[in-house]
Amino acid sequence: MVILLIAALAVPALTGTALIVGGRDSSTSSEGNANLVALAASIATAALVVATVIARPVMDRPWLPALGVKWQFSVDGISAPLLLLTAALGIAVVVHARSYPPHGGSSTTFYGCLQLVEFGALATFLSRDAVVFFLSFEVVLIPMWMLISRYGDSHDLAARSDASGRFVLYTVLGSTLMLVGILTLVQASGTANLDDLAKAHGAGLERPTQIIIAALLLVGLGIKIPLWPLHTWLPPAHTIAPTAGSVLLAAVLLKMGTYGVVRLVIAPLPIGFGALAPVFGALGVVGILWGGLACLVENDLKRLIAYSSVAHMGFVVLGLSSGTTVGLQAALFANVAHGVVSALLFFLVGGLKERWGSADLATARAALREVSPRLGLAAVVGFAASLGLPGLVGFWGEFLAMYAAWSPAPDRPQGLMRVLAVVAVTGTAVAAGYSLRVLRLIWSGDRTSPAHADAHGGEWSVLAVLVAAVLVLGVAPGLVLNTTIKDVASITAEVSR
Amino acid sequence: MSQAVVSVNAVVLLPVLAPAVGAAVVLVADVAAQHLRRAHYVVALVSLVVGALATFAGLGVAAGDARQTLCLSGGVQCMYSADAVASALQLAALLAAAVTLLLSWPDDKKESSGATAVIVSLVLAATAGATAVAGARDLGSWLVALELATLPTVALVALRGARSAISGAVALLTTALVSFGLLALAAALWFTATTSGFLTPAAALTVVADPSRRPILVLAVVLVVAGIGFKLSLVPFHAWTPEAYDGAPLPIAAFLAGVSKIAALAALLVVIRAVAPLGAPVLTSVALVAAASMTLGNVMALRQDGVVRLLAWSTVAQAGWVVLPLATVSAAAVNASSAYLLAYVLATLLAFAVVAALVQTRGTARARELAGYSGLFRDHPVLAAALGLALLSLAGLPPGVLGLVAKVAALRPVVASELWLLAVVAAVNAVLGVAVYLRWLRAVLASPDAPPDAAPDGAAPVAARAVRAHPATLVAVGFAAVALVLTSLSPQLVLGLLGF
Repeated sequence: MVILLIAALAVPALTGTALIVGGRDSSTSSEGNANLVALAASIATAALVVATVIARPVMDRPWLPALGVKWQFSVDGISAPLLLLTAALGIAVVVHARSYPPHGGSSTTFYGCLQLVEFGALATFLSRDAVVFFLSFEVVLIPMWMLISRYGDSHDLAARSDASGRFVLYTVLGSTLMLVGILTLVQASGTANLDDLAKAHGAGLERPTQIIIAALLLVGLGIKIPLWPLHTWLPPAHTIAPTAGSVLLAAVLLKMGTYGVVRLVIAPLPIGFGALAPVFGALGVVGILWGGLACLVENDLKRLIAYSSVAHMGFVVLGLSSGTTVGLQAALFANVAHGVVSALLFFLVGGLKERWGSADLATARAALREVSPRLGLAAVVGFAASLGLPGLVGFWGEFLAMYAAWSPAPDRPQGLMRVLAVVAVTGTAVAAGYSLRVLRLIWSGDRTSPAHADAHGGEWSVLAVLVAAVLVLGVAPGLVLNTTIKDVASITAEVSR
Repeated sequence: MSQAVVSVNAVVLLPVLAPAVGAAVVLVADVAAQHLRRAHYVVALVSLVVGALATFAGLGVAAGDARQTLCLSGGVQCMYSADAVASALQLAALLAAAVTLLLSWPDDKKESSGATAVIVSLVLAATAGATAVAGARDLGSWLVALELATLPTVALVALRGARSAISGAVALLTTALVSFGLLALAAALWFTATTSGFLTPAAALTVVADPSRRPILVLAVVLVVAGIGFKLSLVPFHAWTPEAYDGAPLPIAAFLAGVSKIAALAALLVVIRAVAPLGAPVLTSVALVAAASMTLGNVMALRQDGVVRLLAWSTVAQAGWVVLPLATVSAAAVNASSAYLLAYVLATLLAFAVVAALVQTRGTARARELAGYSGLFRDHPVLAAALGLALLSLAGLPPGVLGLVAKVAALRPVVASELWLLAVVAAVNAVLGVAVYLRWLRAVLASPDAPPDAAPDGAAPVAARAVRAHPATLVAVGFAAVALVLTSLSPQLVLGLLGF
């Protein structure tokens, strides 16, 4: 069964490398071929990931005995939803690119980069060795940098190089600090295995040591999440990135940050995280308000969704900081929910930007409701989920996160956490404000010019599937919550000791 | 039958003897037949390969064991001792020298400068010095071998004759002399402190008996760090580096960045390992030097527009990373430092090889300027991919996994010793380094939107494409690229060499 796991990683890795190294012909026929190759590879990857999630194989082979680094990969309830999300979006971005071929460079390289990003994300979620986790974390950087710097918005070259450079440098700073933290953690606890680290729940580590390590890791991972005030790389990156890049960035790469917090900080360093959790949660709540307020005035639609990502990830951070089972569950659910919703919105906005020629909200456009009902449906569902409407996927994560903050773990300062919960509630009001503002601007009204085509083919199928996912997970959140509960409970059981 | 005072085992010494004998053969052959060019290179390559093969015997020895020779009667103290780390450094030096020779392979179409034999023999002599210093365990041979590794490079830089070459050579020569002075003083102090001519832990431990001699030993080690700092291009002893690299012919710059650095680190490690049992506090000076080198090297590299100068400043920054683990005292630190050096040398040689190939195909002006690299990925995809891998390896980002693993290995001892400030400085420098190399990589990937001289230069691209790089250069690129790909897939190949 281990072969399934290896294949799930090898297929995107090899396809990606082959596409980048092998093909450079930018003729239209190779365009279609590259898309087909990438499509086949991502479908195969998704099938293998599903099989891996079901079979739950465990791989444990030595790799760098000199450094005690092993190829340790396995699946548990915490990583399973994120793996499935990554695999599904891996297909979605390729299908969507059939409607919007990349421009700015050869399409083979574009698809190769997508495959490598998917490989890096899958490896991150699968790895059980802290150092391999770090290496996988780094794998996504260069492909994503290439996606932004070569295939991004072609209007402004300087902005492109600024956005891609900022993305790489911020992330490298974060991951190097994380590496220092990981090495310290491994050194202090004598094992690099994440499961063993979680089981040890910080036994033998003094409180000051735990706090130092947790601080290093939280700052490092906080850049990736992104945690206010370390978020300033995200809006430019999203604004410039091509649609596929934005989707993978928001829906997959940001999740690596919060996932890392669960794996590397909360489980192995309960005391250290407990000490820092109030600050961590407060920064998350500031992010909720900051992102929401920015969205109220932002006129670039892609940048607006980027800021809304900062706000949504703030709820994840709030859930994580509560220290309870409900809070962790909320965070993991909000992770997946944001993955689905932000993917839907970025696919939608990417398509709109192609049609409109820009993503500027100040320009008068034809109302989506009038001229393109399918795009209109996607917009309504996407922004409604974004504001946390009950019955849609966005609701559960945020509601549970606020609930968890209201009744946090015993070692958390209850008063402060309740204040954070109240501020977060006002954040949801702001979210309603900006979501409805966007819908008023792009969806309602009776303008029918300049007319544009509705979604069809690949674009429509991607949007429809994501709309369905928003509804299904909104009605039946148990699909995710029941998967994660067992492993989450084992972490919080240790924490509350 | 009286026993010899010093036993000599030529087989053990082969990594040193092979290039030395090669140098002699080349000089003799030049006297016999004056118009030989390619034959010299063939002889040199054969001697380097023989030497490289001979190091394999030393690579296999168990930890704590070594292949020794030149032992004084009784066999307790040996002047030459090659364990796994020393053998790995020798292997790297010999292979790096081979790549350098491939890069300077004579072009039949060009007139001979008449100095082929001199160049080849100087390269071989310096390489012999590098391999010798890795095994040297007594003050005399350590000093002589280190200078043998240095002085020929002065001549190699100067031989081009251009004004910039002369000024580079003068900078290098001045540095070499100062450095030699410091090292000679250090050797004298070492002898005063330990009353032993050997650079061994046993000798260093004699100061434990007499604490009053300890400061002298500390001073000796500080002087060694300073003297070798010149050769490793560590701040504040780095100033010669950009000038010498830029003035030297490209293959010689590659030699300075490769073999010379291996020789310098090998020499430093001999001393560091000898004093390691003392837990010497002098090593905090290494921490300062490492932090300063990384920071200044990266900041200056960010400002360069010429690729050779960029690589020179990158050497300064990477040298900081190389000595970073040595700020702590442990066997792991020595291994980590060597591993980082090997990763750096491999990636830098590949970058130099690609630049050399581009000088031949796209002309010196374009290949030595950062701006000239735009469109490389489109025009020469394979060379661009090789260069990209080298740069990412230096930056420490996948797919350059070797560079990343080397950074992990280098940071580990620092973190283990809880040197937080140094670790954070290193982390910030990892970011600066990424900025340096991505600046170059961005140019490689960029599509030349509107070449400013498109109209008058209309025919040039066609002509440029007709020019192919010299096969020897391409062999060098291929060899380095394959080595870097393999070691990136399995960094254990490098770590294992060092007996990690």
